[in-house]
Amino acid sequence: MAELVKVTINGEVYEVEKGRLLIDVCREKGHAVPSFCYYADLALQASCRMCLVRIEKMPKLQTSCTVTVTDGMVVTTESEEIEKARRGMLEFLLANHPLDCPVCDRGGECELQELTFDWGNLEERFIEPKNYQPERYLSPMVANDPQRCILCKRCTRVCDEWMGEEAIEAGGRGVATIISAYGDWLNCSQCGNCIEVCPTGTLLDATYRHQARPWELVRTVSTCTFCSDGCQLALGARGEEVLRTVARDRYVNGINGEFLCVKGRFASHPFVNHEARLRTPMIRYRKGGKLVPATWDQAIEFVAQRLSAIKEEHGPQAIGIVGSPRLTNEANYTLLRFARDVIGTEHYTATDAFSLVPFFENMGAPLATHRDIRYAQTILLIGGEPEELQPLTGKQIRQAVRNGGARFILINSVPIRLKKNAAQFVHVRPGTEEAALLALADADSVEFAARKMGVETSEIEQVRRALSEAQGTVVIAFGELSPAAQKIVAQLPYIYADDRRRFLFHPLPLFNNSVGVHDMGLMSGAMTATEMLDAAGKGVRALYVAGSFLQQHLKGREEALSKLDLLVVQELFETATTEYADVVLPAASFAEVDGTFTNNAGQVQRVRQAIPPVHLSKPDWLIVASVAEAMGARFGIELSASAIFRDIAANVPAYQGLRYPLLKDESRPVQVKHEIAQRRDISGEIETLRATIAQADETAAKITETPPVGHELFKLGTLTEKLPQFHYLAAGNPKPENTLASSPLVQLTIDAALRRQRQEMALAGD
Amino acid sequence: MRIEAIGCEPLLLARFNLENSRSLETYRRHGGYEALRKALTTMSPDDVINEVKKSALRGRGGAGFPTGTKWSFVPKDSPKPKYVVCNADESEPGTFKDRYLMERDPHMLIEGMLIAAYALGARTAYCYTRGEYKYLIDIMDQAIEEARAAGLVGERILGTDFSCEVYTHTGAGAYICGEETALLNSLEGLRGHPRMKPPFPAVAGLYGCPTVVNNVETLCAVPWIIMHGGDAYRSLGTEKSGGTKLWSVSGHVKYPGVYELPMGYDDMEKFIMEDCGGIPNGRKLKAVIPGGSSVYIMRAEDIIGKDVRMDYEGLVAAGSMVGSGGFIVMDDTVDIFESTKNLIEFYKHESCGWCTPCREGTDWLVKAFKRIARGEGRPEDAQLLLDLCDNIEGKSFCPLGDAAAWPIQSAIKRFPEDFKRHLLPLAEQERVPAVA
Ligand SMILES: Cc1cc2nc3c(=O)[nH]c(=O)nc-3n(C[C@H](O)[C@H](O)[C@H](O)COP(=O)(O)O)c2cc1C
Ligand code: SF4
Ligand code: SF4
Ligand code: FES
Repeated sequence: MAELVKVTINGEVYEVEKGRLLIDVCREKGHAVPSFCYYADLALQASCRMCLVRIEKMPKLQTSCTVTVTDGMVVTTESEEIEKARRGMLEFLLANHPLDCPVCDRGGECELQELTFDWGNLEERFIEPKNYQPERYLSPMVANDPQRCILCKRCTRVCDEWMGEEAIEAGGRGVATIISAYGDWLNCSQCGNCIEVCPTGTLLDATYRHQARPWELVRTVSTCTFCSDGCQLALGARGEEVLRTVARDRYVNGINGEFLCVKGRFASHPFVNHEARLRTPMIRYRKGGKLVPATWDQAIEFVAQRLSAIKEEHGPQAIGIVGSPRLTNEANYTLLRFARDVIGTEHYTATDAFSLVPFFENMGAPLATHRDIRYAQTILLIGGEPEELQPLTGKQIRQAVRNGGARFILINSVPIRLKKNAAQFVHVRPGTEEAALLALADADSVEFAARKMGVETSEIEQVRRALSEAQGTVVIAFGELSPAAQKIVAQLPYIYADDRRRFLFHPLPLFNNSVGVHDMGLMSGAMTATEMLDAAGKGVRALYVAGSFLQQHLKGREEALSKLDLLVVQELFETATTEYADVVLPAASFAEVDGTFTNNAGQVQRVRQAIPPVHLSKPDWLIVASVAEAMGARFGIELSASAIFRDIAANVPAYQGLRYPLLKDESRPVQVKHEIAQRRDISGEIETLRATIAQADETAAKITETPPVGHELFKLGTLTEKLPQFHYLAAGNPKPENTLASSPLVQLTIDAALRRQRQEMALAGD
Repeated sequence: MRIEAIGCEPLLLARFNLENSRSLETYRRHGGYEALRKALTTMSPDDVINEVKKSALRGRGGAGFPTGTKWSFVPKDSPKPKYVVCNADESEPGTFKDRYLMERDPHMLIEGMLIAAYALGARTAYCYTRGEYKYLIDIMDQAIEEARAAGLVGERILGTDFSCEVYTHTGAGAYICGEETALLNSLEGLRGHPRMKPPFPAVAGLYGCPTVVNNVETLCAVPWIIMHGGDAYRSLGTEKSGGTKLWSVSGHVKYPGVYELPMGYDDMEKFIMEDCGGIPNGRKLKAVIPGGSSVYIMRAEDIIGKDVRMDYEGLVAAGSMVGSGGFIVMDDTVDIFESTKNLIEFYKHESCGWCTPCREGTDWLVKAFKRIARGEGRPEDAQLLLDLCDNIEGKSFCPLGDAAAWPIQSAIKRFPEDFKRHLLPLAEQERVPAVA
């Protein structure tokens, strides 16, 4: 318990924790203090001078955002002198501001506007001409109107401290200071967090420019549908169209604060109302024939009959059910029940990139939340590349190091960008990350493993020491690992933990509901996704797929789907999987359904319906339930997302007792209770690892190049490709000739980029 | 250009007129580096700090902070390296003393830096110079090389256990980089804007390590203090401000130049009228800015016959400040509105842009001054200017904001006639006689 001190604010005495920032204390106690540059957990800036207060015994007004409370401090936040100072600052900030709120995208949700209501003067005393700065674009995602800038530098600080990119910075000086990018073009990960934290209309979402006013939008708090971090976001819809995604703290307060990555921020909604969405159920009556639109009744009837017939003829195991780590727990759980209770097959799985079953079965310590990571004292990351694949985790690690002084140890064959925050980087040969785990679990293997990884034994010893000597919270994060390695990692706490430290795990699967689909049990079926494809036409005659197979599943198995007697696919779009489908059923996207996702911290978070299902689409669980009903089966529950979730709570132990109302508040996410495994014998796994690692080439060259920003983030997928600007990023994000274009959306199409590339190629060819 | 000591033996200027004054040989022939030897061989670091404390030496960079006290703030037990940084940015308008010190007697500065480094336990010292002083860097580098060759810089100085490297570094030409924390940012290769205080540089300065930043003139006084003792130095000046001070005199005097005066020199009128040769061309004294552009402007009537003592307390009593000793004299041809406009243009140009009041306030003030100068002044503008200054003063992130406000506030209050004339409608302005 921290020491308490007495502080007097406007005559009232409070007992508060020593060392807290005065501005926080004032606000918490109901004494409003205006601010622009102050932003919790970022470096203190103290430049806007809005938060001035009077502290007794100090000569001048003080910035409450920089002063920490001490015993006996006497503070005044309201007086004539303070009011004059605040009005004076606001007048200065507006002196060169264009006052073009009616055409500004931020108008209506602008902190400058709001504080002007409170502290602005009625009359403008500034009669001289304003300094002019043209509007421009800093990237296809970031529009910029420099004249509106108040130089609070929240943008540059989040870019540096959250993202580690330092892409956006101040240039020039004095009144000519301008927030800009090196070469006036942002070659960063395009997270857009600078847009989010900007209190004014200076940095704006270029993909949403002039599309709506904030008050026209109905906002729905939901969970991101890309990576496994599970950021909370607010979808803004006008009518039945989702127009934007934000994480502004006035609308949503999740684990991510105002943070989102390029996909969450810009790609969460463009696919929702995209013209390529499947509109009706479709049936392919003849193999090789065309998909023909059908009514829901026809399609459901068709599927039910065919499934029943195949079950009849080949037995239930001939039918494979495939869920997806992209779908809600409710959808996946319904699929599981469909497989087990309706079809009676053990052949169910989900299209995840890898399974975490061995890890969860042996997990010797709880999962780390993102907050745990931020305040951890030691973080060990084995493999993975969170800055590209789980960006929130990347940010938390960076802040833990930069703002929290955490010790970050990185074991990777690739010198990923996070390397620059690492206290220790164990740079191993390609594909030998698991050797490090072997060496951590088995002292006798240190030398062998070090030789295979191409590192000094002392480097491994250093990591071992860090794990055994560390105080406080130790977070072990890891990317994809083999089953044996997963079991070993899961048992590390039993090797290293004692009461001086708390071990926590942070697995890094790839998808928004990878953990949920595991929890629902879909990953524990008798076959994996690739095994099912390999058995297609042989043991497996029919596949019922919600979502689509990944490229990695279909690679080398291009023919598999064509060998099936029946392929039913629930999808948003036509994909490589629907190409062979006999029946395609239009599913509703995350923006159109209620449900839950479970993130890599084991937090189960709400997905909420922002708009009704587009066209004739339906929620995945409802489609499955309809097919079941047509096959004569009933689940015995009323059909709604919340009822299915109650069913989950009744049957999945980790989710016991949970209900939607308990998940209501996104600022207090609920962590499910994954079972903590006992100490297990891992000698077999150690042997397995030794054997695999023995194969590793001791002469293999190390990867020395840090992969470029966006090499994973900007990859075009079924969802991200629906945003034209994403193509521009995927094409290398070249700086256009004119960043001041009056209609840059036209210029910033993929065509312009390609034209320019062609021109450059032509020039280079001469 | 006159360079001379008045009212005291030359202390800082002692070797200025010698031939080859900047060479190591000349310096040593006249007792150079003996103070360093004395400190290294007969004094503990604490002894050195105590001697400097006793001397009542106050920082010559502008703030006048007691140097010995500043040195004693450096934590003794810190495991981090410590640094000595010489502030040779000298960018306060009207100030040009540091450049002569470095140009004519660079070894005096190097010796001062080394003694400071010894006292503080630093192994590295930097001399940070404004970009425009490139030629001085060459002189300093040459002197450092000479000293190194003679075993006075580098490893095991003078055969003792004390080692210290001395480096030079140039800024890119920004007034704000004379402010000590902005200087440190610039030295680290960051944008030149001030840092938040606390922590003060003595605790967390360069690269987050304990650092002492001192002005050139401050450091140049140190060898003499060590050689002759703190008490001797203090007795040259007053009880609270020891020693001598350089004044950079410019403007309407017969003999502009650099003058070394004992602290507490009596009095300013004599200094202007006799020592500096008085006002040329039979003109009358109108105003003096005694301590560099950032201090209050003084009226002739507050100087003539007023026995203004030239030291920290004396100038405050007379309504201004010692500042950096940039002594600007103006005769009665000067329009104080115009001269103030010139100053505020400087501050606008040099505002780093970090904080709202200074960045926007100086820009607005310049716009207002320009508008008024164009003949579009309004009677209410005097109040507007004062109010803008009030919204800057005491509310900015660093003292540059105050420095921009003070000259205007004092000019409007002390020379209202010069402003009033500009604030009348154009037609009337012409009827009011300009300057005498
Ligand atoms: C805007 C501003 C500019 C300054 N410029 C200089 C300068 O050019 N040279 C200098 O020595 N001190 C300058 N200072 C003062 C320094 O911040 C610091 O007080 C000084 O270097 C300390 O050395 P001293 O104690 O020896 O005076 C400036 C301060 C401010 C606020
Ligand atoms: S662009 Fe926005 S966030 Fe950045 S400094 Fe300007 S007002 Fe602040
Ligand atoms: S007062 Fe503010 S804007 Fe001016 S120089 Fe100091 S920090 Fe920069
Ligand atoms: S919030 Fe304190 S100065 Fe900006």
